[in-house]
Amino acid sequence: MNIDIDKLRNIVGKENVSDDIADLYVYASDASVHHSLPSVIVRPKTIDHVQKIMKYANENIIPVVPRGAGSGTSGHTVPIDGGIILDMKLMNRIIEISPQDMLVRVEPGVVDDDLNRALKPYGLFYPPAPASSRIATVGGEIAANASGVRSVKYGATRDYVLGMKVVLANGDLVNLGSNTRVHSAGYQLERLIVGSEGTLGVVVEATMGIVPIPKYRCLGVANFENLEEAGDAISEIISSGSQPSMLELMDKVGIIAVNKAMDLNLPEVGAIVMFEADGNVKSAVDFEMKKMKEICEKHKGSDIEMSYDIAERTRLFSGRKKLFASLSKYKEGIICTDLADDMGVPNSKISQTAQKIHEIAEKNNVIMAVYGHCGSGVIHTKIMLDPKKKSQWKDAEKVVDELYEYVHSVGGVTSAEHGIGLSKAPAWKKARADIIPMMKSIKKALDPNNILNPHKLMDAPDDWVGATNLRYKVGA
Amino acid sequence: MKLFGGLFSSKSKTEFKRSKKWEGELNKCIRCGYCYELCPLFKTNNWESDTPRGKLLLIYGLITGEIKPSQEIGEKIFQCFYCKNCSDNCSAGVPVTDILSDARADLIEQGFDVIGTVVQVDEDLCSVCGVCIPLCKYEALSIEEDKKDTKKVVVDKIECRGCGLCVSACPAGAITQKEGCEITLPELHAKVTNVLKENKGIKAVIFACNWSLFPGLQLSESPTLLKTPYSIIVSMCSGRVSPELILNAFEEGAWGVMVAGCPPEECDHDGNYKTRRRLVLLKNVLKELNIEPERINLEWFSTGESGKLSKSIDDYIKKLEKLGPIKLEINKKIGG
Repeated sequence: MNIDIDKLRNIVGKENVSDDIADLYVYASDASVHHSLPSVIVRPKTIDHVQKIMKYANENIIPVVPRGAGSGTSGHTVPIDGGIILDMKLMNRIIEISPQDMLVRVEPGVVDDDLNRALKPYGLFYPPAPASSRIATVGGEIAANASGVRSVKYGATRDYVLGMKVVLANGDLVNLGSNTRVHSAGYQLERLIVGSEGTLGVVVEATMGIVPIPKYRCLGVANFENLEEAGDAISEIISSGSQPSMLELMDKVGIIAVNKAMDLNLPEVGAIVMFEADGNVKSAVDFEMKKMKEICEKHKGSDIEMSYDIAERTRLFSGRKKLFASLSKYKEGIICTDLADDMGVPNSKISQTAQKIHEIAEKNNVIMAVYGHCGSGVIHTKIMLDPKKKSQWKDAEKVVDELYEYVHSVGGVTSAEHGIGLSKAPAWKKARADIIPMMKSIKKALDPNNILNPHKLMDAPDDWVGATNLRYKVGA
Repeated sequence: MKLFGGLFSSKSKTEFKRSKKWEGELNKCIRCGYCYELCPLFKTNNWESDTPRGKLLLIYGLITGEIKPSQEIGEKIFQCFYCKNCSDNCSAGVPVTDILSDARADLIEQGFDVIGTVVQVDEDLCSVCGVCIPLCKYEALSIEEDKKDTKKVVVDKIECRGCGLCVSACPAGAITQKEGCEITLPELHAKVTNVLKENKGIKAVIFACNWSLFPGLQLSESPTLLKTPYSIIVSMCSGRVSPELILNAFEEGAWGVMVAGCPPEECDHDGNYKTRRRLVLLKNVLKELNIEPERINLEWFSTGESGKLSKSIDDYIKKLEKLGPIKLEINKKIGG
């Protein structure tokens, strides 16, 4: 692949282009297990930069992979064919905060937490925050249709995207959506970009809805002797019509891991459920909390703690916040990998799915943690294995296959909030063969030269282990 | 694009024996990225290779033979202030800075002469007065004699934390750091000047210590529409804030300068004691110039006390508003 590095330097400045191996090697990976070298890293600062880069790449058939924080878990930004990594982090301006219109206009590199810090003095917030909100960029969240702990009440990224500016594969700039809360003017193209994982265009500006920060928030924590009861409690809370602003599950594997990593001294019970309600009327919040507490008690939830105090809420939630990284501390020699990590299942299937996950893990010689925003049907898992053993990767392949087969059989979805990328693509393609031709047609129409994040989603290889190098040294 | 094709295969014969013992720990890094929101180097340069997780991946590539050591990779590995914000906050418990130190030692053994954030001594300017030697808590500076009995100050590149205390203390200006990480005196001067020129509403410049306060100061580094009457500049240790920097801020129109450092006994470098002494002297100089000494404010904050910092800044700004701006003729005096 011939890339005119000087041309790229002329566009964005030489300080924003690197083809040194020290950079290529680290941009070859995100938070997934995959690793594949790009040819060059380019950091645009303006829409004009992005347009010029895309025009050049399209004319010369060079792959372009837009990248935010690199916190994706399924290899979305790992460039299988090399090419240009478009690091969007320097486009990080909050352009407008409009409390009157209840919206913000931001560049794609704005970090979620930074946006919420800027909104706080106005008494407003942007709710879809994933657990990685401290680093995740708005552009990346749009690409993955990210959601998070409060999505059970407030919804996912797609529910907040009102409009956006997108640079297409040929360098053209289009304005999608509107500045209004709703629109009925033609295809909802802004929604098409949400969850497109950088395959249809480069988001260069987004207009997002925002909401008031509720006056009261109360968090409760309940311990359960077994996972089944915890799952049933969550399902009943949702089906009872309660309105939690957060409803989280953490299993025993997760509890042990955070205890080891953070010395939290949590009781090592079968599972912990965290439930939160928020609102502007305290009695309404009290009502919701009481109702959820009673449901937990009905399912043998015990040692229930509830607090409005922010310091106490932070303490109660600290283990869940850092669970993902803590899992590598669960057992010496075993590490945490991001595979099959964010299935979505119907509310009635939470308990049985959580139990099935442990069953599949045990059968295939790996350990799995089960946790997540189960109130919105999101079940997170992490496969914990010895990365040096080739046989463990075979085990992981089997786990992924069996897990997805089960999830799809109960009406669930391959990915609820992290996206498909590389490692989830084979299972997803198998389950949704019906929509693949339609997606390919859309891709072909918008990116005829297939330069935008190629070989992802419907075009991803069928063998996720062999699709790229793994970022671990695997023995025999 | 695969480097060698297939799964990892070790092809390099280069030895990384110290670093190799960390392979298990390196595998534990899940690359969540929570380390880099806390990294001052990443906040400055914004390249993935400046992040702690990026450096760990480079070291992993070196020990597995996937990549060959190079000057550029060495530069990245030698760029670290050892504030340990990354390892202290890594839930996977990866000892980032310990791994970096061993990688540094391996690279030095292989003959790589890289600079990173490590201080350099200009032998032509250095009079070997020895002022710098006791300043360094990590004993990274020492005086050596060669065969001709010529003395010189040498730097231990593994132990140097890049705090720059010796840089600000060297009377001959013989100790320097490489530009590019916003830590050199000219870079800090430029930062102060830019902040005050770009925003005429700024009344105070706040120098905040990276070690005690950086994790709580994300907003100051982030884009925001909120205008504040002050600007926070993160420094590598309060001891790095030299009198020239403070006078520069006054010259550029600041009404006051606040230095926020670690409390006595808590400084990683013992730079706060030097700051305290230095600022007492500087306040006396201000008196001579008919400038109110309270325009300089030194306060101590422990790790995570960003709430206390916010309150102190608010109180300080109120005081400055009573004092008003420094009068023009006094500015002329400072400028000489």
